Amino acid sequence: MTIFPTKKVIEVKDLHVHFYTYAGVVKAISGVSFEIYEGETFCLVGETGCGKSVTSRALTRLIESPGRIVKGRIIFYRDSGPVDIMTLSEEELREIRGREIAYIFQDPTAALDPLYTVGYQIAETMVAHRTADWREAFRKAINILKSVIMPDPERRVKNYPHELSGGMRQRVVIGVSLSNRPKLLIADEPTTNLDVTIQAQILDLLRKLKKNEQMTLLLITHNMGVVAEMCTRVAVMYAGKIVELGPVIDVFKDPRHPYTRGLLRAVPNPLGKVERLESIPGTVPNLIYPPPGCRFHPRCPYMMEVCKSKEPPMVDLGEGRKVACWLYVK
Amino acid sequence: MAGLKEYLVRRAVTFIPTLLGVTLIVFIIANIIPADPARAWAGGERARPEIVARIRKQYHLDDPWYIQYVFVMKGIISYFTSPTHEGAIIDPLTSKYVFDNIFLRFPTTFQLALFAEIFILTIGIPLGLISALKRNTWIDTFVRFFALTGTSMPIFWFGYLMMWVFFSHLRWTSLAGVPSPRCYESGTCPITTYIPIFDALIAGEYDIVMQVIRRFWLPGFVLGFRAAGVLARIVRNSFLDALSSDFIEFAKAKGLPKRWIWKHALKNAFVPVITVIGLQFGGLLGGAVITETVFGLPGIGRYAVNSINYLNMPAVIGVTLMFAFMYMLVNLMVDIVYSALDPRIRY
Repeated sequence: MTIFPTKKVIEVKDLHVHFYTYAGVVKAISGVSFEIYEGETFCLVGETGCGKSVTSRALTRLIESPGRIVKGRIIFYRDSGPVDIMTLSEEELREIRGREIAYIFQDPTAALDPLYTVGYQIAETMVAHRTADWREAFRKAINILKSVIMPDPERRVKNYPHELSGGMRQRVVIGVSLSNRPKLLIADEPTTNLDVTIQAQILDLLRKLKKNEQMTLLLITHNMGVVAEMCTRVAVMYAGKIVELGPVIDVFKDPRHPYTRGLLRAVPNPLGKVERLESIPGTVPNLIYPPPGCRFHPRCPYMMEVCKSKEPPMVDLGEGRKVACWLYVK
Repeated sequence: MAGLKEYLVRRAVTFIPTLLGVTLIVFIIANIIPADPARAWAGGERARPEIVARIRKQYHLDDPWYIQYVFVMKGIISYFTSPTHEGAIIDPLTSKYVFDNIFLRFPTTFQLALFAEIFILTIGIPLGLISALKRNTWIDTFVRFFALTGTSMPIFWFGYLMMWVFFSHLRWTSLAGVPSPRCYESGTCPITTYIPIFDALIAGEYDIVMQVIRRFWLPGFVLGFRAAGVLARIVRNSFLDALSSDFIEFAKAKGLPKRWIWKHALKNAFVPVITVIGLQFGGLLGGAVITETVFGLPGIGRYAVNSINYLNMPAVIGVTLMFAFMYMLVNLMVDIVYSALDPRIRY
C-alpha cells in the first residue's frame, strides 16, 4: 500500500512564521519542511496550537497581520513550471488561490457570507478566476452541488447559508473549493465542527471527490482516526515543528518519535491494539519563549542531556520516514 | 417581498398602543406639575378672572385628569377624522389648531434634519471606513478623537462658534427667515410635498433652492457634526468586525479580487450601521431644539420648548405625538431596509 509517487505538487522549505503580539513574538512555525506528491493525501496532525492551520494558510501566504512569514520557500509546481509562492505578487497569488490551491475551512457556518445565496458564492469563485461567466457559473453551481451530493440542488442553489444544515453548509464550502478543479485541496479540520454522523459522510465525500477529480489533498486534523482512514503520508507537528513524517501505516505501526508514541497511546489506535489509554505528562510549551534544544524535552520520557541544549536534526530513516529526535542520531 | 402589505398593517396596528402610551405618560407628567395653566394662558398674574374661568371650562381644567385626557385625545383625533376639523384641539396661545401649528413648522425641522443627515452620512461613513482601513495609525487616532470632540461639544457653543466664522466673517450663510418657493403664493406648484426645498426643485425655482441651502447648511452641519462622530465609530467597528470574520478570510482563500472582498465586508458591516442611521435620523426629527433656537429656525423643537414654557399642554401632547410617530415611522423604514439587506431577517 505504501506508494512512492514522484511528482511533487508543493514543497515547503524551512518555513518560519512569527506573530507579533503585545506579549511578545510568538514563533508559531519554526523550520517546517515537507513536500506533497501528486495524488496523495498528506496529513498534518498535532494538538491545537501546534501550527497546523498556520502552516496550511502560509502555503498561499494567507497570513494576516500581526502574523508574518519571516523565512522559508514554498515551491508550487504549476503546470507551467515551478514557482516560489514567496516571490509572487498579490495578483499572481490571487490567481493561484481558489483556482490551483483551494481551501476548506473548519467552520462552514462562518466561512459562508450570510447575505448571499450559496449559488452566488459558488459562482463568484468561478467568475473571479474567469473560468465561467455569471450565467454559466450559476448553471455550473447546480452541477457542483450535485457532485457534493447535495439533495435537491436546483432549489438549494438559491438558498442562503442559514437555511441549510451544518453538513449541507460544509458541502457548499467543499463545492466552492472544487468549483475551479484545483490541483491541491487544503482541508483544515473539515469535520471538527460537524456531528459525528455527518463527519463520516463528509470524509467519504472528500475521498470520492479526490478519486474522481485526481486531486491532491492536504488534510489537517487532530483526529488520529481520520488520519488512519484518509491519509497516505502523515506529518506529526509539535510546537511549531514537524517531529515525525512518514507513510501513515508505518508511523502508526511503529512510531519513532516519543511524542508520536505518546500521541498514539493517548487515543485508541485505529491500526493497532492499545491496552490502556495514557496521557502525555506536562503541557504544550509557550511559543513566545520555547524551550531550548528539543521543544518536547520537558515532557519526554527518553530525555537526554543533549536534548536540553541542542535542537535535534531531521534524521532520515529510509523508506520515506523522517524523525527529529536525538535517539536516532548515530 | 410577499407579505409586505400584511406586515405594514401589522406594524401600523402596533403603532396605536405605543402612541397612546406616550401621550398618557406625557399627560400624567403635565398634570403632576403644580401650576395653573389657565392663568398662564390668559396672561399671567394680571389675567382677568372671567377669562381664566372661561378657559378652565373650555379645556375642562376643573374636571378629573381622565376627562381632560379624553378631551385632548378626542380633539387630536377629530383633527384628522373631520374634514372641517370640527372639535379639533386648539392651541390656547395662538388660537389655531395645534396640528396646524405643528404642520406649519414641520417642514423647517424636516429640512434641518435632512441637511444634518447629509452631513452625518458624508462625514461619518467615509471617516469610519478610513479609520478602519488605517487601524491603529495616526489617522485612526484622529478620527476617534474627532468622534469624541464631536459628541462632547455643546451645540449652543459650537453653533455660535460656527456662526461667528461662517456668518460674521465669511458670510457663507444667512440667518433670518425661512425661504419658501414662489409657487406657494401663486398656487402653481406642479406637485406639493410641503417640503420647500423639494417643491422649489420640482417647480424649477433653483434660486430658492440655493437660498434654502444657504439658510440650512450651517445649522445642519452643527446638528450633524456630533452624530457624525458617533456614526464614524460605529462604521469603523462594524467594518472591522466584518473584515476579521471567517467568510472574508474564505473569500481571500477563494482568490476573489480585492473589490469583491470589500463588497462582502461592506454589505455585512452595513446591517448594524443602518440601524444607527435610522435611530439618529429619528432623533434629529425630534431633538433639534437647541439648534433651532440658536439659529432662529421656527421648527417643531422651538414650538415644543415654547409650549412647555407656557404650560401649553395641548401643544405639548400634539408635539410629543408627532415626535413619537416620526420615530416609529423611521424605525419601520429601517426594518424594511433591514429585511431587504439581510435574508435572515423576515417580516
